Amino acid sequence: MDARLANTWRLTLNEKNFIKTALLSEIRIDGRKPFEFRNISINFGREDGSAEVQLGQTRVMGIVTAKFVQPYRDRPNEGTLTIYPEFSPMADPSFEAGRSGESAVELGRIIDRGLRESRAVDTESLCIVAGKLVWAIRIDILILDNGGNLVDAANIAALAALMTFRTPECSLGGEDGQEVIIHPPEMRDPLPLILHHLPIAITFGFFIDENIVVIDPIHNEEAVMAGRMIATVNANGDICAIQKAGEGVSQRVIMQCLQLAITKAADITKQIKAAVEAYNSERALQKIKRETTCVGNSVKGDQNQTLDNKGISELVGKYMERLKLISVESYASQNINAEEIKSLRRGTDSNCIKFNSTPLSWDPYSKGVDLECLKASVASQGLSTASEEKEASGQEKGSEAESACPYEDVNSKWSAVDASTTEMHVIGPKTLKDAVKPKNKRKKKVSSMI
Amino acid sequence: MEVDREDGRSQNQLRPLACSRNILHRAHGSASWSQGDTKVLAAVYGPKAGTKKNENPEKACIEVIWKPKTGQIGKPEKEYEMILERTLESICILTVNPNTTTSIIVQVVNDDGALLPSAINAACMALVDAGIPMKHLAVAICCCLAKSGYVILDPTKLEEQKMKAFAYLVFPNSVRSVLPEGSLRVEGEPIENGIITSVTHGIMSVADYFYCLERGRAASVKLSDFLRRNLQQQSTDSSKAG
Repeated sequence: MDARLANTWRLTLNEKNFIKTALLSEIRIDGRKPFEFRNISINFGREDGSAEVQLGQTRVMGIVTAKFVQPYRDRPNEGTLTIYPEFSPMADPSFEAGRSGESAVELGRIIDRGLRESRAVDTESLCIVAGKLVWAIRIDILILDNGGNLVDAANIAALAALMTFRTPECSLGGEDGQEVIIHPPEMRDPLPLILHHLPIAITFGFFIDENIVVIDPIHNEEAVMAGRMIATVNANGDICAIQKAGEGVSQRVIMQCLQLAITKAADITKQIKAAVEAYNSERALQKIKRETTCVGNSVKGDQNQTLDNKGISELVGKYMERLKLISVESYASQNINAEEIKSLRRGTDSNCIKFNSTPLSWDPYSKGVDLECLKASVASQGLSTASEEKEASGQEKGSEAESACPYEDVNSKWSAVDASTTEMHVIGPKTLKDAVKPKNKRKKKVSSMI
Repeated sequence: MEVDREDGRSQNQLRPLACSRNILHRAHGSASWSQGDTKVLAAVYGPKAGTKKNENPEKACIEVIWKPKTGQIGKPEKEYEMILERTLESICILTVNPNTTTSIIVQVVNDDGALLPSAINAACMALVDAGIPMKHLAVAICCCLAKSGYVILDPTKLEEQKMKAFAYLVFPNSVRSVLPEGSLRVEGEPIENGIITSVTHGIMSVADYFYCLERGRAASVKLSDFLRRNLQQQSTDSSKAG
């Protein structure tokens, strides 16, 4: 007992006074201004659904896994989402192994409210057999380094991990149609989760005596501050959750903080999306390089030494299926409305051009459910006309499109990713000859849309 | 005999190694070690006041906490903790700081085979980063024995599952010293010929085991070189208090 007390970290009185005096002149001890957020860097691990976020000195890892469970009785069509925060003793000398303290429970509850109760994650799409089998998503949040403001960092880690997580595709089959077949990743590409919006948590620290509010406090400031408010907001301006503790603050200050939170949330949302985009396109690029070798095209790209190469050597039909799925996957983070996708799309035109220059100039934007799309998209291999392809494949999806604009077509398709992937297995094995679509056919489609 | 490994390596080839020290800010020492896709993060806090119960207060005490990537802590994790503890206790000089505890926390970031050896290597580097006095470093390697009798080093997870038996071996690192050679010998043999820890799974003949040891020792020389280069390159950071 004494040993434990002796080992806890405490801030000295001098340090406390220094922090408070500096705040009187609106200076924080790490040089930031009161409403400045630290730098966020998001990195992804080797497997799907694993993300590591660094917010200044704070380091948090989020890992998403899924398994089959029976649904709750009162919600037979919905999957479940549970958050397991773990305050690892490596993050802070006062964190104990085993039992997690109340701050771990609080962190878990705040993130849970932001993700589950605000319906950010679509749980109905996690249902496989109503009443019997659903996906249970488990998010493990590992705190690796406590540099202050664990809630915000953990939230970003959870979101980044959710956006890059993929569940294997399942379909009903068997003799009575009740058996669930799980398709391994080599056969069918796994599916992303549907996220309606991204709730971002922003923490504010209140220093009553100095009459100042700071955003994103570091651990020294956390030991000094009198009150704390965590506002979970999204970029659309919705407030998902608010948690306030500590000394009382005036209503005016709270309103100001909420306004500020919404602005900051927009920034952070952009950063998260950019990081996930980069990761997804990197992944798609790797997959493409692997594909080319097995079909025997002349490739210049070096072979990616991932281990499950063996699973790729199948019929050409499956290869084409997969090519389609790659494009689906490369923009699989489309669990967001069409507007946002548009802005994303414009921003990633450079990616499109990048793909053109590779030997297999695979058009990542062409995504098709029916055969025409497939032919059009694979035809782009030989021709570096990605923009044409986009339009062509865009038109083919006309039935699902929300507007006539080709760009919008392509974009809105992606929000229906799940629906489309289930139709993939309809297409039988084809040869590459079928894949090459005569140019005139494509042009016709273009004109028909307009 | 030529062996075909899935990722194109030869029998005795190790996966690419990567190591970085001083990555965490609160911990006194930290290191991240990756062998191919297996990645482990280790952090050291210590020496802290007091020893654990039933431990000799005249010596320092080592405490290991193993954190798996996801899921509950079960018996395999406890076993890893015990093996790590015993290995590290034998390389640390325990009489320098008596009645203290040094905690080592190991976090598995990704498991793709040879997890325990990576953890031992990471823990060793973290201890160096924290400045805990040690006699020498430990280098750990995994050797597998296949059904057809050949031995491969540093398996991936898929390879490990297919093997008949495998052994985790921990050797002291190779010594480069200015002291006269005689003083570094233990019972007439140089220190690096010794073995600190050996954990085997599966069935293997005595001859095979010695063959594994031989291969392991040869590989440990390469690992020692890597460690030495890594430690010499990175400049030591100023002390971190609190």
